[in-house]
Amino acid sequence: MSTYVPTPEWIVLDWHHACIAAELLCIQRCVGCGRWRHPPRRFCPACQSDQATFEPVTGGGSVLSFAVSHRSLDPGWQAHAPYATLLVELDEGPRLLAATTTPPGEIRIGQRLAVRTEALSEHFVLVWADPASHDEPASMAPRARGNA
Amino acid sequence: MGTDLWGTTAIVGVGETDYVRGSDRHVCDLILDAAMEAITDAGLKPADINGIIPPPGYMSAEEIAAHLGVPDVAYHVSVLMGGASPTASLQTAAMAIAGGLADNVLVCMGWNGYSALRPKPDARPTKRVMNLGPMGETVRNHYAPYGLMSAAQHYSLYLRRYVDTFGIPEDAAAAVAIACRNHAQLNSKALMRGTPLSRADYDAAPFIAEPLRKFDCCVETDCATAVVVTSLGRARDLVHPAVVYLGGAEGHPEPADEIANRANLLELGIHRAAPRAFARAGVSPHDIDVLEIYDCFTYVVLLQLEALGYAEPGGAPAFVADGNIELGGRFPLNTHGGLLSQGHCWGLNHVVEATRQLRGTADAQVTDAELALVTGYGDLGDGSVAILGRDR
Repeated sequence: MSTYVPTPEWIVLDWHHACIAAELLCIQRCVGCGRWRHPPRRFCPACQSDQATFEPVTGGGSVLSFAVSHRSLDPGWQAHAPYATLLVELDEGPRLLAATTTPPGEIRIGQRLAVRTEALSEHFVLVWADPASHDEPASMAPRARGNA
Repeated sequence: MGTDLWGTTAIVGVGETDYVRGSDRHVCDLILDAAMEAITDAGLKPADINGIIPPPGYMSAEEIAAHLGVPDVAYHVSVLMGGASPTASLQTAAMAIAGGLADNVLVCMGWNGYSALRPKPDARPTKRVMNLGPMGETVRNHYAPYGLMSAAQHYSLYLRRYVDTFGIPEDAAAAVAIACRNHAQLNSKALMRGTPLSRADYDAAPFIAEPLRKFDCCVETDCATAVVVTSLGRARDLVHPAVVYLGGAEGHPEPADEIANRANLLELGIHRAAPRAFARAGVSPHDIDVLEIYDCFTYVVLLQLEALGYAEPGGAPAFVADGNIELGGRFPLNTHGGLLSQGHCWGLNHVVEATRQLRGTADAQVTDAELALVTGYGDLGDGSVAILGRDR
């Protein structure tokens, strides 16, 4: 059963379009000072520049925290309960949520991850993350889809 | 700053409907019933009200005025901080009064929190919805696509981090759930009156979103509450002993509109609001007699107690143990049963209960209660604090 797919707008839509065009996870980066930031913002919180690009990231990161849901209002997700949602800290710094195929009991805070993207529509990519194999840096892990 | 604001206004009227799961009443009727009860409780008439802070959604200040018969609204504002809204509204009401913009301000809350998703077959339909405020966009764009749609799921992102960081035991929050349920047995309006909760019941309940089990989560209800705020001078001429608004504050995490990119996932709005509120009221945490802490989830109570200074980070489980938060303990907490067991009225029911405690008319009365602390929490971690005291 399919899950809820939003129809983003504004700079969130720009982010999804950048990921879809690159077939990789891209993250917003300030042209003024080079800082990465997520979710997309109009102005850089460090230097206030409004010039930013979306650039591919390495796809490496780690588990900062995670949610394990035993109930979901979304029938598509309920079919997979209990399921984990990861709060990923990318090696570049920004953090985002990611779906995972890893069973909740096998997830640990601090675990290394490899991140990839899956386009669910022409306007939305879902981010996936699973443990990087053999504790290698994620950028060295075997390529799956997208960045991994 | 603000020396002529703090301690110069008072809560003089309170109103609340029953707390039910499945109401025969339209959400607007609930809101208006509580509002009229609060005005009447104050010994005032609708024409005396000239400031209105409506609920976050459902009804506008203009509609409320028109239905109640308030002829001249001199000031209104909406506060959009989710469950932190009603308690934050008290500071807005006080500012309006102290600044001379309004004389008597009505603060309203009410919703069909149970029936919105599960209407009775014969219920009158409504298209009225809550205003999710700032979190709406974040949930729609960034959380819901990952299967995180409910508040329990969103907050579990940092509650997991809390448990992991401090090695919080799995039963750390049971005392909060059980204290609230025990207090609900004494409250005439509590939804869970007559339904005690044993430790075995708590332990046996399934997880909703780890670490939250069923009884760590509040009860969705249909209900409404309202309070009337006025100047302390006018309050002293009214029916009930004045309950003085000694100080309050709001606070927001950074960024406030999403959780993931906060430098410290465990630093919430209340960490910023609490020191401001204590300083404004001129009291310290250990002066407080009654704690009415926003309890959408038990673990969120633990985080707030730490933010307020009642325990070191990771120390709240010890603070809530051994009857400390039960009626008769040093810091009775949620003496009406809270959102967990009285019902979920976005914490304005906590303000109503704190007012009754300081009037000396609560169902579960704390002996000689002179100072009460109320918190609000919501909207992905916003916080609000109100410190109320008996008029001396």
